[in-house]
Amino acid sequence: MTPSLEEWYRQERMPHIFCTGCGNGTVINCTLNAVVEMGWEIDNTIFISGIGCSSRAPGYVATDSLHTTHGRALAFATGVKMARPEFNVVVFTGDGDLSAIGGNHFIHACRRNIDMTVICMNNMIYGMTGGQGSPCTPVGAISTTTPYGAGEPVFDLAELAVAAGANYSARWTTYHVKELTKAIKAGMETPGLSFIEAMTQCPTSFGRKNRQRQPSDMIEHMKNHSILLSKKKRLEEEGKSVPDDTFAVGEFARRNRPAMGVYKK
Amino acid sequence: MKLIIDESRCKGCNLCTLVCPYNIFQEGSKLNEKGIVVPSLDRPGRCTNCRLQKLYQRRLCGVCQLICPDQAIHWVEEEPYEPLGVVIEF
Repeated sequence: MTPSLEEWYRQERMPHIFCTGCGNGTVINCTLNAVVEMGWEIDNTIFISGIGCSSRAPGYVATDSLHTTHGRALAFATGVKMARPEFNVVVFTGDGDLSAIGGNHFIHACRRNIDMTVICMNNMIYGMTGGQGSPCTPVGAISTTTPYGAGEPVFDLAELAVAAGANYSARWTTYHVKELTKAIKAGMETPGLSFIEAMTQCPTSFGRKNRQRQPSDMIEHMKNHSILLSKKKRLEEEGKSVPDDTFAVGEFARRNRPAMGVYKK
Repeated sequence: MKLIIDESRCKGCNLCTLVCPYNIFQEGSKLNEKGIVVPSLDRPGRCTNCRLQKLYQRRLCGVCQLICPDQAIHWVEEEPYEPLGVVIEF
């Protein structure tokens, strides 16, 4: 008897601590729906997170969870997978956690291709500490540390995972909930490291400074500025220009490289 | 099945009003006891999942439940079953 969706939440800890309209709750919904479809057991699954808004998510999931040091969620997850390969390991992490301070852990976890699912809630900012710019802050966006607009290019995490050797890599937004659920399920089915980047809205720290005060404004922005990867490739083949302010969504890689830590029954 | 919003969880972000294909969720106007404007339901009997979940034996649509960041939207069994006089407009 596999547990139902309600049993996967820690009902006594709800409502959660996230701000009004925060996309992290949506990502938890999609992940747990995918987990229910996979038919995993609560005792056989472990959720791991680092530090940040996103990393509070495992506190609302009924499984065992590890809330670890900043950026080191993947290092701890590697340890869990090596010690208990029969566990299903899911890592929740944020963009600051994964790409800035834990960048080296991330590329090496991709290179080793450890059998786990990494879900990055990319809200384009350090939300918990007051809205400092992260490596994923879009060019021109205003944050606490970039008051004249961010000037540095954005870290493309999904492409980074492909280049580093992950078996599965996809990017969706919190507007594309059905696609995100399917991508997370596909990632869980794939042996080896599966990386799913979920662009989320942060109306409190990001939207407030960038004229997207309402959660729906940020959702509309993500809906209008995302472009399917297949369409982007087609435009490039035809020699047409891809609009600058868009980001590609879709499945970046699904392949079958040798993976580490795959449990054989 | 009956569509309900859990008022103890809803934080009033109004994302459900954005995604429902039937516009069942409407922006509310009254504050509840927590000081939150919870969306109001406009003829929830039109919801696909309310009408057809029993027939198809699976979750249909369900985008509002997926996008709700506060896990406030769900469906409950109706006891006893009340046939709401829903007029399907062609």
